[in-house]
Amino acid sequence: MGYNWNWGIFLQPTATGDDTYLGWMFYGFKMTIALSLSAWLIALAVGAVVGVLRTVPNKWLSGIATAYVEIFRNIPLLVQLFLWYFVMPELLPESVGNAFKQTNPIMQQFLASMVCLALFTSARVAEQVRSGINSLPPGQKNAGLAMGFTLPQTYRYVMLPMAVRLIVPPLTSEFLNIFKNSAVCSTIGLLELAAEGRQLVDYTAQPYESFIAVTLAYLLINVVVMFGMRWVEEHVRVPGYLGGK
Amino acid sequence: MISMNKVSKHYGSFQVLADCTTQVHKGEVIVVCGPSGSGKSTLIKCVNGLEPFQSGEIIVNGVSVGDPKTNLSKLRSTVGMVFQNFELFPHMSIIDNLGIAQVKVLGRTQDQAREKGFKLLDRVGLRAQAEKYPGQLSGGQQQRVAIARALAMDPICMLFDEPTSALDPEMVNEVLDVMTELAQEGMTMMCVTHEMGFAKRVASRVIFMDQGRIVEDDSKDAFFDHARSERAQQFLAKILHH
Repeated sequence: MGYNWNWGIFLQPTATGDDTYLGWMFYGFKMTIALSLSAWLIALAVGAVVGVLRTVPNKWLSGIATAYVEIFRNIPLLVQLFLWYFVMPELLPESVGNAFKQTNPIMQQFLASMVCLALFTSARVAEQVRSGINSLPPGQKNAGLAMGFTLPQTYRYVMLPMAVRLIVPPLTSEFLNIFKNSAVCSTIGLLELAAEGRQLVDYTAQPYESFIAVTLAYLLINVVVMFGMRWVEEHVRVPGYLGGK
Repeated sequence: MISMNKVSKHYGSFQVLADCTTQVHKGEVIVVCGPSGSGKSTLIKCVNGLEPFQSGEIIVNGVSVGDPKTNLSKLRSTVGMVFQNFELFPHMSIIDNLGIAQVKVLGRTQDQAREKGFKLLDRVGLRAQAEKYPGQLSGGQQQRVAIARALAMDPICMLFDEPTSALDPEMVNEVLDVMTELAQEGMTMMCVTHEMGFAKRVASRVIFMDQGRIVEDDSKDAFFDHARSERAQQFLAKILHH
């Protein structure tokens, strides 16, 4: 194979002279982490609320929550991203739309990406939360109510603490997914990790080094997430219950 | 204390409860028995509004359970309930299981709640297990904790929904002993149970249900010596042989 390996490429100044190629990679790495983490926090909050609403007795509330989940998990992520980035600013009231278009283009890309990833993931988190609540023994809810707790208190003190513990493993997958899914945001021009990888190929003609570096960076993120979530799992384990001590 | 008047409930065309009428006076111990599917658990869950009913009326301590204006949470905080599967909160230590509702519902301080909790654990003989978690206790111990948890709310009456049915036979007595003691102290109790020995020992009255109806509602002596209905006689013949 007549390929010239050149790992030194990362330390060379870029063609535009503003940084090294490693610096570009690092910028993308930071962007991916900032984007995914902020989207994840929103997804957890929204997903928890929607997931709980899917299980409440009120038909209107659970119906709205079901519609939310079905919309966000049945439209392809890429299409959702285009909708948020290209279509949504036109649908907003003109003043808001214009304000959005006048912000810094990187900020526009970041916001659209964050909202898109957050809501897409929140629908999936909501499903995990719902399944966690539904997998509790039905008597738990009655026990909470019988003690004099209101329904919200029963969720807060009795059902959610156990449901959340049960869904830590599937939530770990969603947390990993959000980092991987964030690569889609390179399609609207956001310079995150995958986009920087492609940019490096264009500038240096060293695709192997570039994408190996990108792969390792994603791997690093996910290994950290995996170990972090394993730590969480072990620390919320209930004694005498489901593999607890 | 508890008065039921023509309570009926149905799922679609299936009648779960039909015109159930009875009274429970202060200090009485009522044992509710009957074949499975006869509606006894449903009846007892109607008393604190865990099961809705379509017609009739239940008055607990002067408050109508079926009235939409009734604050059910408040009513339930005064009625203790013990379940077949214990239903302790698995993520809390035993002492916190006893304390949480005292603090969040009754507004007691953490210290008051713990003190009350320890006193009740002493009473059911489980003081030493206070810092353990429900999953680390045997079934009988868990059910005694569940009784203590209900008592921690200073209930005006107690409902038991087959409290010994999920227990290993050797653990049944430790739970029945606690219940017997409670009955002898004058607690108003309504117990769904098949433990006829318990019924003979402490019941004031026995209610026998079949197909959603209260078929017999009589003093325990009358019930055990000469049950009037054929259905109750058959039932007794079957379970008293063991």
